Amino acid sequence: MEDIVDVLIIGAGASSAAAAWSLSDTKMRILCLEQGDWMNPAEYPSTKKQWQILRGQYNQSPNARQWDTDYPINEDDSAISVANFNGVGGGTVLYSAHFPRLKPSDFKTNSLDGVADDWPIDYATLDPYFAQNDRNMGVSGLAGDPAIPYHEPPLPAVPIGKVGEKMGRGLNKLGWHWWPSDAAIITEDYEGREKCINLGPCNYGCAQGAKSSVDVAYWPMNQRLGVELKTRCRVREITVDENDMATGVIYFDENGVEHHQRAEVVIMACNGIGTPRLLLNSTSARFPNGLANRSGLVGKNLMFHPWGFVGGFFDEPLNSHLGPMGTCMLSQEFYETDPNRDFVRGYTLQFTRGQSLMDTAVNGTFGGEIPWGAGHHAAFEKYAGRGINVNICCEDLPEECNAVALDPVLTDSHGIPAPKVTYRLSENSERMMDHAVGKATEALQAAGAFQINPTGHVAGTGWHLMGTARMGKHPEKSVVNEWGRSHDVKNLFIIDGSIFVTAGAVNPTTTIQALALYVADTMKKNLANLFD
Amino acid sequence: MADVIATDNLLTKVQRRTLEALMDIVIPAHEARGMPSAKTIDLMSYVNEFANTSIKKIESELDSLNESSLKESKIDFADLKVEDQQALTEKLKSIQHGFVQITVYQTLQCYYQDDTVLTALGMAPGAPFPNGNDVPQGDLKLLDPVRARGKIYRE
Repeated sequence: MEDIVDVLIIGAGASSAAAAWSLSDTKMRILCLEQGDWMNPAEYPSTKKQWQILRGQYNQSPNARQWDTDYPINEDDSAISVANFNGVGGGTVLYSAHFPRLKPSDFKTNSLDGVADDWPIDYATLDPYFAQNDRNMGVSGLAGDPAIPYHEPPLPAVPIGKVGEKMGRGLNKLGWHWWPSDAAIITEDYEGREKCINLGPCNYGCAQGAKSSVDVAYWPMNQRLGVELKTRCRVREITVDENDMATGVIYFDENGVEHHQRAEVVIMACNGIGTPRLLLNSTSARFPNGLANRSGLVGKNLMFHPWGFVGGFFDEPLNSHLGPMGTCMLSQEFYETDPNRDFVRGYTLQFTRGQSLMDTAVNGTFGGEIPWGAGHHAAFEKYAGRGINVNICCEDLPEECNAVALDPVLTDSHGIPAPKVTYRLSENSERMMDHAVGKATEALQAAGAFQINPTGHVAGTGWHLMGTARMGKHPEKSVVNEWGRSHDVKNLFIIDGSIFVTAGAVNPTTTIQALALYVADTMKKNLANLFD
Repeated sequence: MADVIATDNLLTKVQRRTLEALMDIVIPAHEARGMPSAKTIDLMSYVNEFANTSIKKIESELDSLNESSLKESKIDFADLKVEDQQALTEKLKSIQHGFVQITVYQTLQCYYQDDTVLTALGMAPGAPFPNGNDVPQGDLKLLDPVRARGKIYRE
């Protein structure tokens, strides 16, 4: 007898974990297929003496990492290179856990600013799901941030330390907004997990398990609730019948054996690159241009966040090499549109801690700031633990020319066509970045930095993958409807960053998860007529 | 085989002496700070374990450096006076793009992960886990003016 599951979820990252948790109370049979492995926190770099060099094993780029669970990405025509991770936890295994939400204005950029499109849902719709996800993940923060509707993170904020005090004083001189970042890092023991002990290299896996990657925050709970999870299962395509209904997926198991897994409902949670890739690989007589692609928009409107850096160094020791690297504080002084600027929409300034000692020595020596010889030690002391980085996260507006397609030659180890990314920064993004570099420099000057290094836009920063299967009410202008269901395939849902209509100017994970919980909840409310 | 280090067989005797001299030029000891010379750390064991694709390049860089010394002074680099070693490396840095780049890169990486160095810097040696680090909460009263300004987002 053929094995049919009620719900099949592709991918085991942030959105998958949240949706599986929500759907588990239906008692439906839920199966998740993940192409990567479970992670072993005992192997993370911070458990080893040479942790600084071992970080290289967890390179964020799949093209550099080249694990057998990765797929290659052609980025020859992209100004930003993709960062992702394939494994239980997905991108949250390597993310910084910086957890700011999209804002109300992000959902209506057309109404407010005349650009892009409004979302078919608003902030208020997602608000309860943000809160639920904060509780599930274990989010730390400080209530009362005047740059976002009031919410109360369940745990106290990650320490801002001397770095935060230094920048806070500087920003106060300027009269600018700043606030400790919401962080998916538990600052107190929480739900069986032990609190953060400031290991530092969050972006290479958290050995403590205090960073809320979903392999520790959600999946153990999901499995107790009966959700099945199979690893090293790489989906090749989604199958459909003559009624335009998904029938399941074809996947390769860990031994390379091909299977057809039947399902009543298929949910895609493969991120903004993996989801369009799989849809475009799922061609058939009824969907010759890729599944759920009658709009022609699958893969189009790819949004990253154009990302820049400005670094500063200070006279006094800040111990900036210690603590959660990516989650200190942010300023959203320039987040909302100001008609007096030469760009529309805005950006976040994210203040992060400094480099590791080894990186300080290497970068300083090859940068000419730390000499060879007798002056080496004094110069090293001048920079070590005294650096603060201002990260610039620019809103990226959707453009159809920025896209994910299938590469005609490149394939993964199973012979499945790989994605090809075509992407360029818009003039609006370029102007926004220039403005932000100036403001970041001003912030560091106000804080008293003795040296400021304005790097500006950096290519290797494609952490946030959005927009390639956008949501909307109209089938000709979007891929999924206002609750994540494909317009073309009534039992196919998408819940990852692909469905973003616009990108905002913040790290997207909390919004991705809130969306996933919202989609799952809406599915539950519509179970009787889910496919109507 | 007499000209080979018995313990790791990675470098010839001349290469090893050149390496130690070069490492001492890059990061000399600083007694007042309690900082050891880079020549005292076991670079090649580190490279062999963590960066073995660099070994050939390091050998090549060391050979090239010593050849330059022989060409200019007729003696091995390691046998030059320290001032002459410094003068030669400064000269080569200015005319050779990427002069001893890999050797210096690996030296810095090894040195700043070494237990004795970390201890001298006041850091706890070894892995960060499970002891972790202390980070002060910071003064959140600094947020008072931000609070006082009120809401800044658009509905």
